[in-house]
Amino acid sequence: MPVVELSYTRLQKLVGKTTIKQISDSLPFLGLDIESEDKDLVRIEYSPNRPDYSTDFGIALGLQGLLGIKTGAVKLKIKKSAKYSLSAKPGIEKIRPFVTGIVAKNGKIDDKTIKQLMTMQEDLHFGIGRKRKKSSIGIHDLDKITFPLVYTTANRNHQFIPLNSEKEISISEILTNTEVGKNYGSLLGQSSQVPLILDANQKTVSFPPIINAAVTTVTTRTKNLFVEVTGINKEDAEDMLSVIATILQSAGFTLESIKISGAKNSSPKLEEKKMTVNSSLINQTLGLNLSTSKIISSLKKSRLDASSKGTNIICTIPAFRFDIFGPMDLVEEVALGYGIQNLEPSLSPSQTIGNTNPVSLQLKSLDQTMIGLGYLEALNSSLTSKRVLYDMTNRDTSKIISVLDSKSLEHTILRDSILPGLLENLSRNIHESYPQKMFETGTVFSIDNPLSEKFSFSGISAHKDANFTEIKSILQSALKTGFGIKIETKTATNPTFEDGHCATIILNGKSVGVMGKIRSTIIENYKIRVPVMGFEMSLSESILKTKN
Amino acid sequence: MLLSQVFHDIEKKIITSLRDNPKQSPETLEQSTQLSPDQIRRGIEWLKLKDLAIVTESKTSIISLGKNGIESFQKGLPERRLLDLLKTGPKKLSDLQKELGSVFGPSIGLARKNNWIEASSDQISLKTSPLELPGEKTLQFIGNEKLSKDKIDNDDLSGLLKRPDFIIEDIVKTKDIVLSDSAKTIKLSDSSGEIDVEAKVPKIFVARTHPLKDTIDEIREIFVTLGFSEILGNMTQSSFWNFDALFTPQDHPARELQDTFYLDKISAKKIGTPEQIRNVSESHKKNWRYQWDINEARKMVLRTHTTCVTIKHLAENKPDEARIFSLGRVFRNEKVSYKHLVEFNQIEGIVVGKDANLRNLMGIQREFYKRIGITKIKFWPTFFPYTEPSLQTMVYNERLGKWIELFGMGIFRPEVTKPLGITKPVLAWGGGIERIAMLKYGLDDVREFYNNNLGWLRSATKCR
Repeated sequence: MPVVELSYTRLQKLVGKTTIKQISDSLPFLGLDIESEDKDLVRIEYSPNRPDYSTDFGIALGLQGLLGIKTGAVKLKIKKSAKYSLSAKPGIEKIRPFVTGIVAKNGKIDDKTIKQLMTMQEDLHFGIGRKRKKSSIGIHDLDKITFPLVYTTANRNHQFIPLNSEKEISISEILTNTEVGKNYGSLLGQSSQVPLILDANQKTVSFPPIINAAVTTVTTRTKNLFVEVTGINKEDAEDMLSVIATILQSAGFTLESIKISGAKNSSPKLEEKKMTVNSSLINQTLGLNLSTSKIISSLKKSRLDASSKGTNIICTIPAFRFDIFGPMDLVEEVALGYGIQNLEPSLSPSQTIGNTNPVSLQLKSLDQTMIGLGYLEALNSSLTSKRVLYDMTNRDTSKIISVLDSKSLEHTILRDSILPGLLENLSRNIHESYPQKMFETGTVFSIDNPLSEKFSFSGISAHKDANFTEIKSILQSALKTGFGIKIETKTATNPTFEDGHCATIILNGKSVGVMGKIRSTIIENYKIRVPVMGFEMSLSESILKTKN
Repeated sequence: MLLSQVFHDIEKKIITSLRDNPKQSPETLEQSTQLSPDQIRRGIEWLKLKDLAIVTESKTSIISLGKNGIESFQKGLPERRLLDLLKTGPKKLSDLQKELGSVFGPSIGLARKNNWIEASSDQISLKTSPLELPGEKTLQFIGNEKLSKDKIDNDDLSGLLKRPDFIIEDIVKTKDIVLSDSAKTIKLSDSSGEIDVEAKVPKIFVARTHPLKDTIDEIREIFVTLGFSEILGNMTQSSFWNFDALFTPQDHPARELQDTFYLDKISAKKIGTPEQIRNVSESHKKNWRYQWDINEARKMVLRTHTTCVTIKHLAENKPDEARIFSLGRVFRNEKVSYKHLVEFNQIEGIVVGKDANLRNLMGIQREFYKRIGITKIKFWPTFFPYTEPSLQTMVYNERLGKWIELFGMGIFRPEVTKPLGITKPVLAWGGGIERIAMLKYGLDDVREFYNNNLGWLRSATKCR
């Protein structure tokens, strides 16, 4: 979950008539988790579907609604302007086809506002922008740009001074030598042409989705902003723009439109949308009996507009609330506006009879049998390491199943056997008193078009008098008591078990496992100083019944 | 505290012997009690544990004669042999050499130094013959014995120690066992047969189910009691059921390698019915606006939640009414820490029914928490890609003095249910079991559950 850091006193000023206590109590009921608080600074976790909550301006809008300070939809006021235009040139559709934008004027920009806008930009890039792939933003100082602009292509030799730099460098250099170039260059593919926004004087404004030009850098002296969004999908780019427009308007800017044209591009509408939901769906889903007027006031507290027509609620949804897909999302908006704390849990009587899965029941019986035999239950990860699973026990690695890019070296391979984990457990307990007897039942994995998962059962006994007879007796007795089955043993060889002390476990003429004395070399590698007996067998083939 | 205790025969014999002879080594105890070395060793251990015997270990030097020492013990010291030869008058050097052999040189040297003899050009004559030479007494004292060094006159010994192969000195460790004060007066047997029922007894370690398994079983039983039936499912799943069927777009950050374990070089052949695949892909294209790719859906993952098991069950059975739960391991590609495991257990439950609603869902949670002993709970809104509305439970932990996030819940989105032909509302919830078990066992490090540390497994209390 993304996190935004903000100041309580600044937020309080933005919200209006409220206390900091009220704010911190209300945040969770907007779906915002307070991750940490340090005096005035608070770190808030928000959901990725609400990018408007990536700034204190957006959170303030939500709080105003919930606290009843300002309710209803936030309306975008965009002044039509003929001064600003941006046209897309042919050729761009093959690289990054869509561009859109807006002008925001007469705002006050302090350091904190810049920081909030940067966090918002980061979040939009990462979340709905899918790491700038779908869409990306550039925010510029309007007064450093001469309109009209063009969104066009240029080759990789094109040079300009990028943000945070002092000298002109080429596109190729940006892509190979700068951090952002290296991170996002691959989005442009192998094409020799790259997208570029140029102003009327052929000055580079932006090289989307990589970097802005230094000349348009926003500082605390900036008054007016030009925002451009580029992307591979028109709706996504406009969704992103709607979030920025809403936040900038809340931050005190006056919005003015830009005429967008050329190569299938057109001016963004950033329109509200209408959606109807029946009050019976709301009441049925929430288990409430709310009047239409209560529903409407709840929606308004969630900063939407609504009116009723019979039992239908007609909702007006601002453009930036593109997380609202359908009526069920409006049900949640009603619940939030109504207040989750006002929903009383109610237990409806069960009409069904519960059942434990038969496999769980059988495994539990086996557990209990093993405990009766003096064996302690162990639990190991099924995602383990090559060291534990193969290297320490000399097992065959030809059918290894590994995962990609694990962050933990101890967890890279799915186990095909339980016994190695138990041996590892013994090695961690050599300081504890003996005898040590442990068992585990669990899932093991094998490659089988594509994969199969089976239940396996393994046990070990380690003490100075441990011997083959003991482990065979234990297994025989467990299976007889647990499942009423009888096994036989036949001489075998196995890399984990000592020659001459190893047997295949045979059930109904079929080999289902192996048992015997663990090789002394393995025991020595693990620094275990007593003999160890062990067994492992599959339960899936002919023992566990999946139906009652 | 002179209670009569129950003593093993071995203990009784040792105590009796030590009362006669208060300081003994294990070897002398063996002789006096006629017990085997192993019995003596065990008996001493037991008595030590009961604070009845005090064992002091010390090092002793044992002295015996070496090859030359023995020769001198039998024939006399070389210088004594020389002096004896000279008693009958002066002798020629060559004759003496013949008589004394290898000790000729050293004996002449020593006798000269001590002024016992006089040497002229070719013969040696006696000046004086002392009654006792240095070392002679000690040599006789040791003889063929092995003696503790502290019983020997060390001044007299020091000269012998300097001579090659005369004295062998062995350092041996010895144990001395004495009775503690309480053991001196303790009653060894009681004619009435009474025993000390208050005495300490040895520890026995119980065999038991794993504490985490106990918690899992407890949770399973609660849901069965509440009318839920358990289903099982695979830990390895296609991305289709783990993500796509749950309305998580293919370019969603949660699907990336850094959060999810993908299996290397393994992809699913059959992921669903053609209708399921068509409907799910269309829902994605329409709502998320991207090119849905079936190969992405075929990629096999280690399930990131058990929701894939319940949604698959719903898609296959399309019940109008059901209460179902699933319990099992789930995986996240995270760095292991005291808070996070890559593999942990999750419970997932659903209620299907035409009248199922959010307050019912909250009611089931409240009832469940009540049954595991948690009564202070509250609900907060949250977000999941596949439920709407979505809530999370916060429970108050007295020990930590703070609210902790437990189960997440919600109603499956129409974008999830509709493509799979599920027509009735589905309430769903789920969460990690280790978190609950940590509260139960008072653990602060979640890794403890999978360390299989016998010290902990043998001591954790079952009922809390």
